[in-house]
Amino acid sequence: MTRFWVLKILRTVLTLWFVVTFVFVVLRTSGDPVVALVGADATPEEVEQFRQLWRLDDPLWIQYFRYVVQMATGQFGISYRDGREVIDIIAERVPWTLILGLFSYIGAILIGVPAGIIAAIKRGSTFDNLIMATAVFGFALPNFFLGILMILLFSLSLQWLPSSGTGTVLHLIMPAITLATFTAGTLARFTRSAMLEVLDKLYIRAAAAKGVGYWKRIIFHALPNASIPLVTIIGLNLGELIGGAIVVETVFAWPGVGRLLVTAVSSRDLAVVQGLVLIMAVTMVLANLVVDLLYGLLDPRIRVQN
Amino acid sequence: MFTRREVGNLILGAGALSMVGSLPKANAADRPSLNIAVDNLWANMATINGISTTSRRIFPNFYDNLVDRDYIKDENGLIFAPKLATKWEQKGNIWTFTLREGVKFHDGTEMTAEDAVFTLSPERLWGAKPFEPRGKTFTAGFKRVEATGKYTFEIETERPDPNMPSKLTGYIGFVVPKKYYMEVGVDAFGQKPIGTGPYKVTTFRSGEIMVLDAFDDYWGGPPPVKQISWKIVPEFAARMAGLVSKEFDFIVNIPTDQEAALEKYQGVTLKRVLADNYPALAFNTRPDPEDNPLVDPNLRYAMVQAIDMNAIVQALFNGTTEHPAVPFNFKEYGKFYDPNLPVKLPYDVAAAKALVAKTKYKGEKLLWHITRQFYPNYEAAAEIMVEQWREIGVNVEAQILDNFELVYRRPYHMMNMSMSSDFIPGDPYQPLWLDWGPTASRSTATWKTWDPSPEFIALGKKFDATTDFEERKKAYLALSEEWQRITPGYYLWKSVYNCAHRAGIEFKFKPNGEMRIYGDYFKFV
Repeated sequence: MTRFWVLKILRTVLTLWFVVTFVFVVLRTSGDPVVALVGADATPEEVEQFRQLWRLDDPLWIQYFRYVVQMATGQFGISYRDGREVIDIIAERVPWTLILGLFSYIGAILIGVPAGIIAAIKRGSTFDNLIMATAVFGFALPNFFLGILMILLFSLSLQWLPSSGTGTVLHLIMPAITLATFTAGTLARFTRSAMLEVLDKLYIRAAAAKGVGYWKRIIFHALPNASIPLVTIIGLNLGELIGGAIVVETVFAWPGVGRLLVTAVSSRDLAVVQGLVLIMAVTMVLANLVVDLLYGLLDPRIRVQN
Repeated sequence: MFTRREVGNLILGAGALSMVGSLPKANAADRPSLNIAVDNLWANMATINGISTTSRRIFPNFYDNLVDRDYIKDENGLIFAPKLATKWEQKGNIWTFTLREGVKFHDGTEMTAEDAVFTLSPERLWGAKPFEPRGKTFTAGFKRVEATGKYTFEIETERPDPNMPSKLTGYIGFVVPKKYYMEVGVDAFGQKPIGTGPYKVTTFRSGEIMVLDAFDDYWGGPPPVKQISWKIVPEFAARMAGLVSKEFDFIVNIPTDQEAALEKYQGVTLKRVLADNYPALAFNTRPDPEDNPLVDPNLRYAMVQAIDMNAIVQALFNGTTEHPAVPFNFKEYGKFYDPNLPVKLPYDVAAAKALVAKTKYKGEKLLWHITRQFYPNYEAAAEIMVEQWREIGVNVEAQILDNFELVYRRPYHMMNMSMSSDFIPGDPYQPLWLDWGPTASRSTATWKTWDPSPEFIALGKKFDATTDFEERKKAYLALSEEWQRITPGYYLWKSVYNCAHRAGIEFKFKPNGEMRIYGDYFKFV
């Protein structure tokens, strides 16, 4: 068991080191941040002054070393764009992304999973076809397109919902639905195929032969056995929750992490981009870890193997 | 550019135009608030480091200039009015300014000559290592700035400069508090700016929102709005829906092809104004890359003559703006403007083909670097221009790039840029000499596109030194002619700024995009 955890932790550290190095290399090779930050008409003197101020004139290896040490000690540095601590900037955006992400995610699970179960147990019926067509539509519809359609319908024409920003629960409805549509569609499709796989298993027939009721068989016998692929998908999507709402946050002017990332990348605010990518990587790694643990809880065979 | 007599007249007229009288004494308790949806907010709100279209829109609400341009009395803003300075006079190389007394900064401290002097000081703008280095561009010829009393100060220049009041209507004229600025430093100042304007900044998160609260100790009396929130709403559909559903009182930056649709909604008023700014393309006239065919002026002439820019502008802007057929001959320059000036390179496909034939150009691909979605309609115009050049046998590839850093990366044969024309109101100094002269970025930066000819430099120096109007006009025409002989660029159209507001508001939109929410520029009706 100790070996299992040591390996997990080593793999996590290696993944994070790879991510921070990759981000450093990509940001440095994709362009000079100074020009993007000081503006197109800045004088060469202004550019030089900025470079010195932020120590961007140091050799790359020194910048890299400083950056890795900072990341390892949890210091994300100062934003080039507005001079504030990166951690403060990110901290004030994370709650908004979490609120949006959790609402949309819970909604997506509450709609997607039951829809997938119903489609599986009504396999081949009109219900099944209707649910799967809707799921594919939700899965395939681009976020920005659905978002704009909703704004035009519910804000411009009907004037029922606010078009953008935050402030009331009403502000949350359109972005949450837009974000949930994709996830709900994905979950419905995965739930259906996972359920179909277990519904034909012998233990389901055995339960029926023992007189276990229909819905009891579905909920307590089939669903837990179908949950391994579902947990994988839910876990992976959960990991993307922090950065996955980029488009939706931009369309609805939602002040979350996704919009911060767009602003930081377009203005080459290296410190903020680096901090955000690291947080996203940590979230992904932690989500994977939680998924691994859940596997063990859901399937005793995996627990025993470990 | 004004003669000394005209400057005198402006000063005399200015007394009657005092801003104090134009501001309503609003009932502070009952004032409504405003929500303004903007496409972007600049990251820094310091007066010089924060120069951008998006900050200029907001600046005059929390900063005051020393001298104001009155757009109520004159749509081109060629009448100057006192603002923080109430009087100014020139004696030779020295200008003396008298400041308004009793003006307070938002932190409650009084504005004095010490602040005005610091605002224009070498330490801040034009010394060896200034806090805001771009200030050098606007302070050429400054020699000394000194307080001569609590409310008076002098500016000494290397030679007599009749345009000093004009210059102080721009970015360098926004007065900042010396003590606070020095305490927090320029970067922090840009995040929590303090001025003397009618509103004070209470919240600024550059990627999200700026909130201004009424500053009731404003020297001109309480402003008409309790609070103004400038919120970033990047998606136009959301801005439009927000205005129609009355979530927003104003929205800005409406795509040209959406203007008609927006105007159809009841209670929505669209405002358009021609800006003192021109998007352009710069030809790379230098042998970098070595085999650059554009070093031959005939190819540049041909490319200009191949473009039917009037048709392009009509198609893209539906007649709301125009193409300046003769560069620098802009209407906002008053007496410098001459509608009968001959067009040296008119649209003429046959002439363009003949010019191409004179060159050694053999159809090599020319790269045109364009910044994505930076200038409205630029990419659309570029597509049409590329086809028009193809007609004369010139092969151009328009490369749409994400930011200026990529645009500036060589190799390229052409790049997008823009030029403002309002640094000295009524005078072509900025676009012709400041922007193309030997110290301009396009002549000095690593990405420079031309080397000014010795003739251009000599004519420019003469133009710069001339103060008599007739002499200056002659010098300007000669300098413009030399520029056209080289043709290092091509001006496309006069930029158009737009915004829209809900019913119940009377608003005067300024040509440089300023949204002044006070005085005769803004009223609830």
